[in-house]
Amino acid sequence: MIRNTRMKRFSVVSAVVALGAMVFTALPAQAAEPGLTSKEIKLGISTPLTGTAALSYGKVPGAMKAYFDFINANGGVYGRKIKLVVRDDKYLPTLAATQTTNLVLKDGVFALVAALGTATHSKAYAAASLATKKVPDLFVNTGFSGFGNRTKYPTTFTVLPSYAMEAKIISKFVKDKFPGQAVALVAQDDEFGVDGVNGFAAGSLSIASKTLYPQGYMNDARAKALVTGLSAIPGKPVVILFGTTDVTALIFKAAESLSLTSKFTWIAGSVGGDSNTLLALGVKPTTIDGVVAASFFPDAKNTTDQYVKEFTKINAKYNPGVSFDNIVLQGMNSAMLTVQSLRAAGKNLTRAGLIKAIEDKGSTFASAALVPLNYSATSHIGYNGYWMGQLNAKGELKPYGGTLSIVTTDSTTGPITPSTFKRPSMPKNGIPTNS
Amino acid sequence: MLTLTPSKKRTLFFVAMGWALLLIGDRIGELRQYQGSFVAMYALAIGSIILLTGYSGQLSLGHSALMAVGAYAGALSINNLHLHPVIALVIATFVAGLFGLLLGFGVARLSGPYLAGTTLALAVSLPTLANQFPILGGEQGVVFDVGLPPARFGENFSQYKWFFWISCLAVLVMLWLISNVVSSRYGRTFRAIRDNETAAALSGLNTGRLKVLAFSISSGMAGLAGGLLVMLISGVSPSAFPLSLSFSLLTGAVVTGVYSLKGVMLGGLVLVAIPEIADSLVTRIGGSEGFTATLPGFLVSALLILAVIFAPNGPGKLLHSFKKHG
Repeated sequence: MIRNTRMKRFSVVSAVVALGAMVFTALPAQAAEPGLTSKEIKLGISTPLTGTAALSYGKVPGAMKAYFDFINANGGVYGRKIKLVVRDDKYLPTLAATQTTNLVLKDGVFALVAALGTATHSKAYAAASLATKKVPDLFVNTGFSGFGNRTKYPTTFTVLPSYAMEAKIISKFVKDKFPGQAVALVAQDDEFGVDGVNGFAAGSLSIASKTLYPQGYMNDARAKALVTGLSAIPGKPVVILFGTTDVTALIFKAAESLSLTSKFTWIAGSVGGDSNTLLALGVKPTTIDGVVAASFFPDAKNTTDQYVKEFTKINAKYNPGVSFDNIVLQGMNSAMLTVQSLRAAGKNLTRAGLIKAIEDKGSTFASAALVPLNYSATSHIGYNGYWMGQLNAKGELKPYGGTLSIVTTDSTTGPITPSTFKRPSMPKNGIPTNS
Repeated sequence: MLTLTPSKKRTLFFVAMGWALLLIGDRIGELRQYQGSFVAMYALAIGSIILLTGYSGQLSLGHSALMAVGAYAGALSINNLHLHPVIALVIATFVAGLFGLLLGFGVARLSGPYLAGTTLALAVSLPTLANQFPILGGEQGVVFDVGLPPARFGENFSQYKWFFWISCLAVLVMLWLISNVVSSRYGRTFRAIRDNETAAALSGLNTGRLKVLAFSISSGMAGLAGGLLVMLISGVSPSAFPLSLSFSLLTGAVVTGVYSLKGVMLGGLVLVAIPEIADSLVTRIGGSEGFTATLPGFLVSALLILAVIFAPNGPGKLLHSFKKHG
């Protein structure tokens, strides 16, 4: 009797195994160039759609889709329509890893575009084996200079100027405009923050007080303790916030409740200085008024700019109900870079061909930024400069001191030089015709 | 005729499973290899719950936290001690087991809802504690990299096949060990305590010590599963071990039948299939992104309720009773 049930159980288990095996084997093999047919190019993006990071960056996929829809309505890329598969990673490294793997293995995308974040994307890149599979990894929204490592990230192209460049440019700015003032640096303790810290060292900025905190560590009480500690520095110290926007907001709100906002000159790094998000997180407009920030784009509210004007029109038609801001501008710009890359790779599109096309022709692509694109066979880092501005109470970034001064540099010890860059004009009607 | 002892049969069964998985691993695509690795990992985690709940009668809602302990231990041994990934997985098992042992001493007097409550608190608090220690890397966590497959397997041997091999082998070895334990004297004493603790104590069993032992073994299994999980996602961070993971595992255990280790693979398959089903449902009927995000949780809960109502002892028992009455 015992033997009988044992046998029965054994047969149930083997039936399950056999079933599993059948399910497993009934799958189609992968095509030579995944995600590509004569009618469609399938691209994938892993980015936060929910959670705090989605407050600002959640608009990126919508903006990109809108631009791709616009291009599809105008004939696509050599007759192929672009399809964007969006997966939500909540800005969590673990989820980014599985979602990116899903994009590559399950959705079978041809290339990845505009992934967000340093910690998220470095994990995702490894988990999804993007290097061994040679999946193009275009226009990653991070300034981590480590992504420029061609051995570790052979298929990655970042779009933002590196954090090291930003830190160097801020260093020079502080030394020029606030000589003799003590400087305090508050940075996130990870690849992103440390990249910045190295940049400040390269920019030989002397820092009186340095605070490094792990992501997820900062809260109301800790922000208040931090601000109280910094207020002991005599004079009007310059405080550089090199973290994410939610932490910038916590620190600003702590300063508000301690009535210490005007004790400091605030400089918010590009990652943590998005004014719309700061306002949405409850920071007072009077606190934001006067905050110094760095940017490489024109202001998204400046409709006299030809790129802003054309993108605003596309946004109104293909992304209805979404207000045009810096994030939408960035999304559309990355989408336009993607279309130009696909065109540059020619009609016989391949993954290797796409990477080569960006290396060869990427630096000539039309783009909204006021600084040059830096792509070449030896560099996969996108923009390489910044201009310093000051936010007003409405959250608009205006050039510091009234005149726009754009500078460029590199991620290491190169000099900081005024830019002589002439921005290519916007393609007619916003439709690239490059090849 | 050749007669085999049950323990030899078991060993043969596991060897046969190993062969079958090796053959399957060669025939399937990368996506299925990746999913298969998850199935194996979940099967082990579910096995740890079944050992604890089904065999020793203790209820834990905190197994995601025990998995996290193993995962962090493994990641730190690779990153800081530069140990071989295989050794890191062994360390993950032992550190989680040791943690479970200490925890077991603490909670040995608790049972039923009190034990569930304590372990639940653990699941809520432990992963967030990681944010307080810079060595654990905060919210972004630390890398867990097992490295590329050995070059001698050839260029076509993919990372996912390597994951599949590691997961399946680790899980088979662990489940083989555990199935030997539960059919040994210890297994019988565990069951005796589960069925009637007083009677077991009167028969001379040290129930407190045995419960702690069961808790420790179960934690070790969970720790290894945690190590495998973060190997598959290349890094360990608090977000990998949400509370919902504990509930999913419990659902997997209930769906499989909490009194037997035999169906753990089914449980693993169910847990991997649920997000897939949710995905295809959403694509078919259309829906918002928020809908996709919440649907798997809903399906897990619904499955748990249905399983408790219709098949509280697992599908095996259900089939059995159909045959009897029908």
